[in-house]
Amino acid sequence: MKNIKDAKNNISLSRRRFLVGSVSGSLLMAFAPLVGAVGLGDSPQETLKNKLFSPTVWFEINPLGEVNVNIAKAEMGQHIGTALARVVADELGADWSKVSITHVDTDPKWGYMVTGGSWSVFQTFKPMSQAGAAGRIALIEAAAKILNCPAEQCSVENGTVLYQDRSISFGDIVAKGNFNRAFTPEEISALPLKPASKRTLVGKPALALDIPAKTNGSAVYGIDVELADMVYARPIIPPTRYGSKVTNVDDSAAQKIKGYLGYHLLQDPSDHLQGWVSVAADSYYGAIQAADALNVSYQVGKTAKVSEQDILQEGERLVADESEGGLFIDQGDFSVASTKADKAIDAVYRTHTVLHFALEPVNATVEEKNGLWHVYTGNQWQSLTLPAIAKALQVTDDKVVMHQQYLGGGFGRRLFGDYAIPAVLTAKAIGKPVKMVFTREDDSRFDQPRSPSVVSFRAVFDQENKFTGMEHALAAGWPTLSMAPGFMPESLDKKTRVDMFSTSGADHWYSMDNHRVRVVNNSLAQQTMLPGWLRSVGQGWIVWGLESFIDEIAHQSKTDPIDFRLSMLDGLGKQAGKAPESVGGAKRLANVLNILKQKTKDVKLAKNEGMGVAISSGQERTMPAWMACAAQVHVEPNSRKITVKKLTMIVDAGVIVHPDGALAQVQGSMLWGTSLALHEQSPIENGQVSNLNLNTYSPLRMSDVPELDIEFVKSDEFPVGLGEPGVVSIAPAIANAIFQITGVRVRDLPITAAAIKNA
Amino acid sequence: MIVFKLNGNKVSSAADVNTPLLWVIRDEFGFKGTKFGCGIGLCGACTVHIDGAPVRTCSFPLIAAENKNITTIEGLENKHPLQQTWIDEQVPQCGYCQSGQIMQAATLLASNSSPSDQEIVDHMSGNLCRCMAYVRIKSAIKNAAGVMSADVQTFDPSSSTQQS
Repeated sequence: MKNIKDAKNNISLSRRRFLVGSVSGSLLMAFAPLVGAVGLGDSPQETLKNKLFSPTVWFEINPLGEVNVNIAKAEMGQHIGTALARVVADELGADWSKVSITHVDTDPKWGYMVTGGSWSVFQTFKPMSQAGAAGRIALIEAAAKILNCPAEQCSVENGTVLYQDRSISFGDIVAKGNFNRAFTPEEISALPLKPASKRTLVGKPALALDIPAKTNGSAVYGIDVELADMVYARPIIPPTRYGSKVTNVDDSAAQKIKGYLGYHLLQDPSDHLQGWVSVAADSYYGAIQAADALNVSYQVGKTAKVSEQDILQEGERLVADESEGGLFIDQGDFSVASTKADKAIDAVYRTHTVLHFALEPVNATVEEKNGLWHVYTGNQWQSLTLPAIAKALQVTDDKVVMHQQYLGGGFGRRLFGDYAIPAVLTAKAIGKPVKMVFTREDDSRFDQPRSPSVVSFRAVFDQENKFTGMEHALAAGWPTLSMAPGFMPESLDKKTRVDMFSTSGADHWYSMDNHRVRVVNNSLAQQTMLPGWLRSVGQGWIVWGLESFIDEIAHQSKTDPIDFRLSMLDGLGKQAGKAPESVGGAKRLANVLNILKQKTKDVKLAKNEGMGVAISSGQERTMPAWMACAAQVHVEPNSRKITVKKLTMIVDAGVIVHPDGALAQVQGSMLWGTSLALHEQSPIENGQVSNLNLNTYSPLRMSDVPELDIEFVKSDEFPVGLGEPGVVSIAPAIANAIFQITGVRVRDLPITAAAIKNA
Repeated sequence: MIVFKLNGNKVSSAADVNTPLLWVIRDEFGFKGTKFGCGIGLCGACTVHIDGAPVRTCSFPLIAAENKNITTIEGLENKHPLQQTWIDEQVPQCGYCQSGQIMQAATLLASNSSPSDQEIVDHMSGNLCRCMAYVRIKSAIKNAAGVMSADVQTFDPSSSTQQS
């Protein structure tokens, strides 16, 4: 198992059967394992009713005709439940006004639980469509019996089965019918799915189901959970991510704090926490004050003096040393091209440490009841987090249940939910329910930040000044190496294992005769921080360098940057794409770029303005959203103040399930891209991130928002994820515009006025 | 004992008088719609109305609430035009900042029935939306202003506390 995306596919796409049965008066639609399941010999109805196995109930319909769809994905602003429910309801033929959703708790029956990588729609579109279609067929068959008519002459519309001038509602069918139907894998794959032209919900406007509760304060996030008799707790984060040991605690000052209940040294058998103390009080304000008053002495870990500059310097050493790391791409023969070359250009692109800064500080509320640990929190990757919690508690996985709450922002920070570990250990130490909330500063210091990165590029040219090959080398801290090392394939030369999340994007869709990529883990970054998956992950820093450097090559070739890109987007060979996920390949990327070219060709630029272009195909080659971006930028001549006036984005992401939700994701991710390009950094100082709160960490505000012009290409191709890819092309498009205006090539993120001034 | 009005009801709190009002509202009185974001008054997630003015409760001590009229997002009772335009425009993503955004915006509309784009930006730039739903926040405020100025009644953010 080399790919986290496929880990989920193992569950949802492996051979299994569908069961449709009447249980307690409702229709239940479930997935069941095909083999090895208890009760396989029983009827579907018996199996469902007696819970002879643990069924994955995907939806149920009650006698009122109300359809409830279970959602195993985390809701963190992407309205995922709405999108997935509409996929089911469309095939089912349901009345949308009677559809609701339930976000489920952890249970092995849900299979692999992860919400990230922009995978949710991509992974579940087909199985959810099939589940809806199977339900529709079961309803039609039951209706035909009730109406005493041939099933093949019935149709379904808006929650009703129709036969000639007669009709019966889903609710009445459920009330009167007796469902006892299984679908074999062969039947499932033969299920008739609607062609795009017949869809009534997918691709049509819809109001997101989670939004009303988010306008009146009733939406419940992890931080809102309360349990009877709970105490409040706050952690004290040690001075280094790893290797700190507590040598002394003096709580004499804390004793004077109203409501102070004591402190605990947290011993973590899972080893995620090293040198942690937690403080308990009868109110959260008491816990904040007591933690501030506690005097903890440490024997600090070995990274206590590491700086941002140290990490970047190490990165520069690693990309320069060809013996480091492993090969990721080796197309043609770059060495030969390099030997034959007449000219070469080199550049090094870097990014600084950035924070997730999800607005809800991480937190978890925990209680133990009859040997079962209940953990209430918002989390993106329960299948990774739950075993870590169990290990910390020294119990088996089945003794932990995670109760999913709304996430006050995820952005990758809530994938590995290490923040639940200090909460469970404190609850265990106290023997009472505990609500642990991190302050903003605690949250920043315990972030899994985006690692600083260094990427070196070399492009070579022949005697006619024609571009003949490119080499790049990438060095950064790797999230997957620390958090999910089982998901790292070997490099081409077998020298190392590779974090695909820290290389994706280097495997671009340009045809290049000679192209070599070497990837290296920056072990100093790895030891100093727990590098995180931050929205758009490697694409965010890799394509920043790539699309800036492509511009450098175009200028060296004296070719228009758009035309230069188009000349390499021929869709030949490995760039032709694959069914179903990347049909058309580089040709679709060329298409969005051509549309962008037409759309922007008549833009009149004012003085000190430029327009830069960049393209992207995030989030990965096996799931590309094709995007082309133009950034219209102004640079003030004296102060060099940078203003992004307008961003134009052309998007081809295949079928768009929930158009307004997709638009919201692209709007938000483009502004994230802008914020990461110009506004955010938290450099490492003394082993820790330095900008902890909004007095020094300054994400984009409403006053910084440029005009956005977003256009989706109409497409019937397989839907791909959209949560992250909009981030990717923004920074290089801005930098390419800055080069046009000033002649200065900025190569560090975030881009600053000072960098232009000092060039 | 500090006495004040909270969403129309007279309440009293015996918490430490330096406790930020945020925690009193959330943990003592259970109005969880008001959120904790930064703790230093720079994100706006904890915004409520105190005598009609927008206040960051994470940095507002309980003692200063004495005899004040306080309205939280729950006190709008789904009746404020902004709450409808927030749905119409499909503003929230993760939603965590949105109580604060709505409370902040309501005070703008209470004093300015047809704010310009720049007035909206100036009034709202202290409120961080990490999902960056800013485009929609702005259009929802403009649309609510349209609804409210078309209406004879204008919304007074402290009205729900004044009636009792």
